[in-house]
Amino acid sequence: MKEATTSGGPSAGANDPRQPTTARPYAPPKLSSQDLPVDYAGFLAVVFGVVGVMMHYKVCSWIAIIFCAQSLANMKNFENDLKQLSMAFMFAVMGLVTNYFGPPRPGSAKR
Amino acid sequence: MAAPTWIRLPRATLILLLLALHLSLSVAAQFEGFDSDELPHATAADLASPDDDEEGLDLDVDLPAPPPISVSVSVSAPSPPVTTTTAANPNLNPTTPPNPTPSLDFWDEDEFEGIPVPEAPSSDASSTPAEFTPSDPSAADAAEAAPAPPRSPAELLRAFSIEIACVSFLICFLLNYFTGKKQNEAIALAWATKFATRDSIFDKNFSLLGTGDGKDTPLLLKEGQDVFKFYASGRRFCQGMLATMEMRARHDLLSKLLELVFPRKDTITFEVVMNEESMDHVMVAVARKKAAKTMQKEERDLQRFASVLPLAPAGKKWVADELAVVAESKEVAGDMISEAVLDQVLGEKAFEKLGKWFISLHFSDQLAGSYKKVLSFKFVLPDANNMAEMTKLVALVPFYIDLIGRYKLSSHARSKTDAARTKAAQEAFRELQGVRQETLLRKKAEKKKLMEEAEAKLSAEVLRKKEEKERNRQMKKGAPKVKMLRS
Repeated sequence: MKEATTSGGPSAGANDPRQPTTARPYAPPKLSSQDLPVDYAGFLAVVFGVVGVMMHYKVCSWIAIIFCAQSLANMKNFENDLKQLSMAFMFAVMGLVTNYFGPPRPGSAKR
Repeated sequence: MAAPTWIRLPRATLILLLLALHLSLSVAAQFEGFDSDELPHATAADLASPDDDEEGLDLDVDLPAPPPISVSVSVSAPSPPVTTTTAANPNLNPTTPPNPTPSLDFWDEDEFEGIPVPEAPSSDASSTPAEFTPSDPSAADAAEAAPAPPRSPAELLRAFSIEIACVSFLICFLLNYFTGKKQNEAIALAWATKFATRDSIFDKNFSLLGTGDGKDTPLLLKEGQDVFKFYASGRRFCQGMLATMEMRARHDLLSKLLELVFPRKDTITFEVVMNEESMDHVMVAVARKKAAKTMQKEERDLQRFASVLPLAPAGKKWVADELAVVAESKEVAGDMISEAVLDQVLGEKAFEKLGKWFISLHFSDQLAGSYKKVLSFKFVLPDANNMAEMTKLVALVPFYIDLIGRYKLSSHARSKTDAARTKAAQEAFRELQGVRQETLLRKKAEKKKLMEEAEAKLSAEVLRKKEEKERNRQMKKGAPKVKMLRS
């Protein structure tokens, strides 16, 4: 097997490749907020939330809630993503509240 | 800090929710008052806004006896048409419209509002929920007629179809989140159990495992539900190794649906940072043909120094047909892809079995990024029960660390690679100098501007004094030096 043939194969004592003295602790790479991958779910949640509030479409507000849930599930960097997510969530909730508890609008807007 | 944002946000949401509720209620209230004022001017207006009338009526009905009188007074003029159109079921309608305004002069029909036909207001009250149902866009009359019979479940279902669909989707999403999370964790743990625990390959090769101090801390670092990291350090020739497992987003139902169209695989990427003195001018990449071409175009170091090798170096066994090698120098590539590697992983026969787990190799000492000398291996992660299948691939990692750590280029190969590197280094240096000069110039210009501004601010007196001083100094400089002799 490979371990036997290569000289790097670890065996007790002389050929041990480990070097405890050179061990470095883990340093997580620093990412600026621009480098983060685009959070499509959060962006779509904001878009649908705004559309739901402006146009009084219930469907859009519900879809915004679903995208908020997806963004929450995929959240990696806790602090950075939470801002956009909370904004999207508030828009979506506002849309739902105005649609269900607000003044009923006559005509086609009421669905 | 995380703590304050956490505290602030629930409050903010609460405040916003309260605001929204308040707004909506106030708007509703406004409409109530509005109709009562507007209605006398247009009977057409009543028909247009039946909802608001009902709400006005509801208000009247709900209050105890005395207030209705006062309310009705304020509502005075509009009410007769109000009572006529809304209190009217279709039967009453034909009779009342004939006398809208004349009644105003003689009596206040509002006073009789609450009394006549208590069924009318209640029927209006029951009609208001009907207004909310999305499946009822027609005029008020139809809406009033519809709620009278009890609503069957089928009707309710249709009425609330959107809500039911969305809530059930959210429930499914939540359930899937937990099951997907567990599945991903199971795969990551299976890998760690096979390759990172006691007496496993990484334990035998590295002294520090895990991201903490290595004593009690867990081996894996979880960065999100589908990304796991394993760090190891303390070995000859290298500073450390980071293994990143990126899995399919099993916890996210929407991503799962998307993956039906764009399938993905679980991958694991090993990145080994080599010591400065341990890596010579090695630049080799191996991947499937299409991927190799993409790598050569996209990675900056490969783009600049390396090219796709079309043929195997003369007379040697070479990699499987599916694969392509991108390298700076054929000789180095040949040395890197040794016999042992070909037999075990990359050769024709071995690749038939292991090909499905292999994605790419990339060794470079001129990587663009924070670390320059990096070996990177990318494999497909098998599922939790089949972890043993990637043993040979994982064994490549320590093998190559040692191979490259000990490797020294022949003088022939070195002369070629040196030329390219020195050119690149010179360019980088020149760029750096250019940038530094630019910043210096900019700073000088800024300082000059500041001084000019300061001077302009000084008063004329001070300026004159300054000029005098300058002149004296110049004269002293110019005047012949007189030496005092002691005699």
